[in-house]
Amino acid sequence: MEEIILKTTGLIKKYNNKAVVDNLNIEIRRGEIFGLLGPNGAGKSTTMNMICSLVRPTAGSIELLGKNPWKQKKEVIHKIGYIPQELAIHGKLKAWENVELFTSLYGIKGAKLKKSVEESLEYVGLLERKQEFAKNFSGGMKRRLNIACAIGHHPELLIFDEPTVGIDPQSRNFILDKIKESNRKGATVIYTSHYMEEVEAVCTRIAIMDNGKIIACGTSGELKKLVSKGTEDTTLEEVFLTLTGKKLRDYAE
Amino acid sequence: MIRYLIKNNFKLMLRNTWGVVIMLLGPILVIVVLSSAFEELMKSYEGVDTFTVGYRLENGSSMYDDMDVLKEAGDETGIIFREYPEGEPQDIIVNNELAGFVEFTREEYVVYKSADYEIEGITLEYFLSRVMSGGLNAALMKINPNTETDVELPVKKLEFMPAVNAVDYYGIIYIVYFCWCGMICATGVLSNEKKYGIEQKFRVSALSDFQMYLSRFVPIVLTVAAGMGAATGITVLLYDIHWGSPLLSAVIVFMMIVAGTALGMMVYNISDNLVITIIVLFTVVWFMGFFGGSFETYMFSTMPDITKQLSPIYHGNRALVELSCMGESKYVSSAVLYSLAVTIVCSGIAVLAGSIRKRGKA
Repeated sequence: MEEIILKTTGLIKKYNNKAVVDNLNIEIRRGEIFGLLGPNGAGKSTTMNMICSLVRPTAGSIELLGKNPWKQKKEVIHKIGYIPQELAIHGKLKAWENVELFTSLYGIKGAKLKKSVEESLEYVGLLERKQEFAKNFSGGMKRRLNIACAIGHHPELLIFDEPTVGIDPQSRNFILDKIKESNRKGATVIYTSHYMEEVEAVCTRIAIMDNGKIIACGTSGELKKLVSKGTEDTTLEEVFLTLTGKKLRDYAE
Repeated sequence: MIRYLIKNNFKLMLRNTWGVVIMLLGPILVIVVLSSAFEELMKSYEGVDTFTVGYRLENGSSMYDDMDVLKEAGDETGIIFREYPEGEPQDIIVNNELAGFVEFTREEYVVYKSADYEIEGITLEYFLSRVMSGGLNAALMKINPNTETDVELPVKKLEFMPAVNAVDYYGIIYIVYFCWCGMICATGVLSNEKKYGIEQKFRVSALSDFQMYLSRFVPIVLTVAAGMGAATGITVLLYDIHWGSPLLSAVIVFMMIVAGTALGMMVYNISDNLVITIIVLFTVVWFMGFFGGSFETYMFSTMPDITKQLSPIYHGNRALVELSCMGESKYVSSAVLYSLAVTIVCSGIAVLAGSIRKRGKA
């Protein structure tokens, strides 16, 4: 049986007595690309933030690589690579300086750091542009640099929070390929996105979240069987809309 | 790990053009404007017309053999020394309409001043202080290059106002003032960290609260030190500003920068808002400057002593101005220690506030 890399048990997060994440139980196995889908306000980002020890759960537990990320943060934090939805890079730093800055946060230094920076930039196709300031990059290049900044310390778990927002199809395709490549090299991936086709193309298992709860979880094929139509041409979007409804969601996460 | 963060934050601050321009041009422009505006006004502190003071030499005073030379130096400065061997100093001053009286005892000298000759009294104190604290040789050499003397009279420390010209005065105190405004250098970095979720990414790392603090604190100090160093160098070259004891002055200025940065970081970590930080910091620094002499034509003129002493800027201003015009100051240690205390207290609160804020956000 494959090792459970992340396990949440009865995870709850309340803001002003309202549960944003409500009794969440998920298990992610080593080597998976786990997709987390949900409408705005479903609780995806809060869940990610709790896993990354950015937000403290109101109740329940998180077990990351067998450890509690809140109590044993120093032991697990360097095993996580967090790629936030925001472009968390400094425009006035050159590409290599950005990667150096974020990679060094995990205790990597000297020649090893330099090598890691080069590898990360090469991995996202920006090695040739390493001397350029990030502010001069296109949206797609910034997204790729954002990824490079999170992988230099070779994390076991990569958390992508909507990494393809606002970029051209080529860049999106490149990033998706790289996610799959990272996974092939051994990284476990948690991936959130609003793009159904992306999730379907990349993820080995998908959870659909709404109102703070997981309402369905399984492979793409398994999810499709949940809707009455259940034919081969059923799309993940149809599954999503059937399960979460068509009503507009105007929550702020 | 932290050195890479410090290095890159330092680069970011240096690449923040507006921050650097403000830190560099700010003090230069203020110095130019104020020193020229108050040049005439401050001349009243520089010297007065010739005036007469009385003196008495106690038997065995080490000034006994050098009194003639001192009188000659006084003549050159516009101070006429007249001996009065008998009588109470206060009575002698009143009866002879003297500007002051000096009693040279065996081990010290005592200055008596007249309330009617305030500026003359200051000038007399300044003259004696200069002469007694190692300046006698220089003074004598100026009058008579062939004179040789080894006079060493223990100096009784006196409270007096040093004479300083407007250019030196404003050239010094506005470097001190801007040292306390160093947070301006960090605005670009800090707003970027917040705007683009970089701060959040730092929290998904092994950085401790103290390392997080240092990663901002150290580059701000380095940037402000570079800016103030450049501004000082430029003003010295352009306006011939005299800084006394360069090493000691540099230590005081550096300590002011460190303290100012710690104060700014404390406000930022408590408020978690850059705009509030700048408003609060500049207000606090303005008040410290107000009580510390930054906005007066002369720093010791109007404020009550207790309020002056509360302002760390006052200690820095006074130490540096006295070093400039007298070559020594009893305020050096208080300027350094006060800055150190501000740094330790503010840093402690800043780290604590950062930690609480992080927990609060979680």
